Amino acid sequence: MIWQLDLSVLTLIVICAFATIMVKDLLSAAIIFGAYSFLMCLLWTEMGAVDVAFTEASVGAGVSTVLFFAAVYQTTRRVGIRKSGRMLSKAIGLVAALLTGLLLIIAEADFPGFGDLFTPASLHVSPYYITQTLHDTNVPNMVTSVLADYRGFDTMFETAVIFTAGLAVIAILRRLKKEDRCDIPGPYVISEGYPDTIIRFVARQLVPFIQLFALYVVAHGHHSPGGGFQGGVILGASFILLAISFDFKVVLGIMNERWNILLGNIGVLIYAGIGFLCLLLGANFLDYSMLSKVLPATDKIMARSHGMLGIEIGVAIAVMAIVISIYLNIVSHGKYDKGL
Amino acid sequence: MTIVVIILTLAGLIFFFATTVGLLRFPDFYSRMHAAGKGDTLSSLLMLLPLALYNFHEFNIANLLVAMKILLIGVFIFMASPTATHAIIDAGYEAGIKPWTKKPEEES
Amino acid sequence: MQSLIADYNYWIYILLMMIGLYAMLAKNNLVKKVIGMSIFQTAIIVFYVSIGAKEHATIPIIAHGSGHGAVETAIDVAHYANPLPHVLMLTAIVVSVGTLGVALAICLGIYRRYNSLEEDEIQEQLQ
Repeated sequence: MIWQLDLSVLTLIVICAFATIMVKDLLSAAIIFGAYSFLMCLLWTEMGAVDVAFTEASVGAGVSTVLFFAAVYQTTRRVGIRKSGRMLSKAIGLVAALLTGLLLIIAEADFPGFGDLFTPASLHVSPYYITQTLHDTNVPNMVTSVLADYRGFDTMFETAVIFTAGLAVIAILRRLKKEDRCDIPGPYVISEGYPDTIIRFVARQLVPFIQLFALYVVAHGHHSPGGGFQGGVILGASFILLAISFDFKVVLGIMNERWNILLGNIGVLIYAGIGFLCLLLGANFLDYSMLSKVLPATDKIMARSHGMLGIEIGVAIAVMAIVISIYLNIVSHGKYDKGL
Repeated sequence: MTIVVIILTLAGLIFFFATTVGLLRFPDFYSRMHAAGKGDTLSSLLMLLPLALYNFHEFNIANLLVAMKILLIGVFIFMASPTATHAIIDAGYEAGIKPWTKKPEEES
Repeated sequence: MQSLIADYNYWIYILLMMIGLYAMLAKNNLVKKVIGMSIFQTAIIVFYVSIGAKEHATIPIIAHGSGHGAVETAIDVAHYANPLPHVLMLTAIVVSVGTLGVALAICLGIYRRYNSLEEDEIQEQLQ
């Protein structure tokens, strides 16, 4: 809550946001967007939201930038100038933005102060979460316990949404039959991509450690910032690193399309399966305390902790598979023959 | 101990400033990347080292673990950042960017 | 002074939201519109997280001493940041990356069909 740091980082964020939408080159816009995401992550760490900052660093500043690069690789890089109706579109955009901004600022006068201890958001349910999480679930990380146990339904459907997004990308882009492929101009490629020794060597050395770190993040979600999503995205990013530094076909050899969809399925299945197992044991859906009947030598409180670990593993598997699948589909335009 | 931390942080800041000035003022793509790659890595390492040293105010296992983790991040940056710089310069070379040469003085 | 700092924060968040909205409405290129959508999403996320921040509060992880079985000291609510907005925004970030993937896939599909990413050229070809 250091207000000097807040103000300076916020100013930089606004400058980055202006720059992202104003530059005439899509690659530069993607890179500035990566810087914008990273500054956001810094801001959230300063506000005390470490889990959110971790997710934004891995997802926003990592995977999103790579997805933008992949999309620009398959389409064009230049931003054209609008031929007709330029003033009209800018006027409509400006008027709409100003009106909405004015309404929001009028509404903002009633907001509680920044950092106030008694905001309505902190008064009703969240004191129960803060004081009871160690007592109910023996997990010190409040965000993980609320995410995976108290609000477990939200997280289950969020995993299903990720899986559906992967399916949607496959449905939009995938071209299986040869005659289905219409004539698209070739991607923006400078050279054929010769094998570079330094990059390949360093990538080969780094990828096992990145994956080990991702597994560490998943396993330590209970005691430190982390959890299923962050670990899954870092695992997916390690495979994207392999695809960029080596050939695209190398990753296809390891994680082909069938395995991607299968692992995405298995991830959601683990999550819903644990919930269903609790149902079979006689409690509500996703009530992990009943798992103490199945797991040896755990009481009801530790069973909730172990149940949370189980669903975090499911989430990590699903997110990893879907991130790899979305990247592979976008960078090869669905044809799976060559990529970045 | 605090003096060492302050000196190292200031050194890191000076190198960051020098990197940024070099990034803006050098005339050519290759020299700019030279400044960015080397200066960036060095100043990141110089700013991570005092963060790791600051934890040694009290010697217990938890603080030792935190310092080890920060130093491991330093090792990762040491490996990955020069490789990224190399990749960018290679891409520029393949794209055919010509190095800057000093133009001969025409008016004497 | 304190209220000016608080108002400055909220106004910056509103400014970021309006930058994103303007980019979505007025920009010609489709990928620029997708970037505007991402800026809008992250601005809303920072607004939510700022609601959960508390003065002089630490991160929402209960730090106990080494080893389990620590004595249950009284956990002061004002000492920890509010974890509930963080949880909701975790879901929002992950959903936003899924949405980004689908939006970019649609952009690629449009480029394949109309050979352009500019909105006015696509509308000309549609007529």
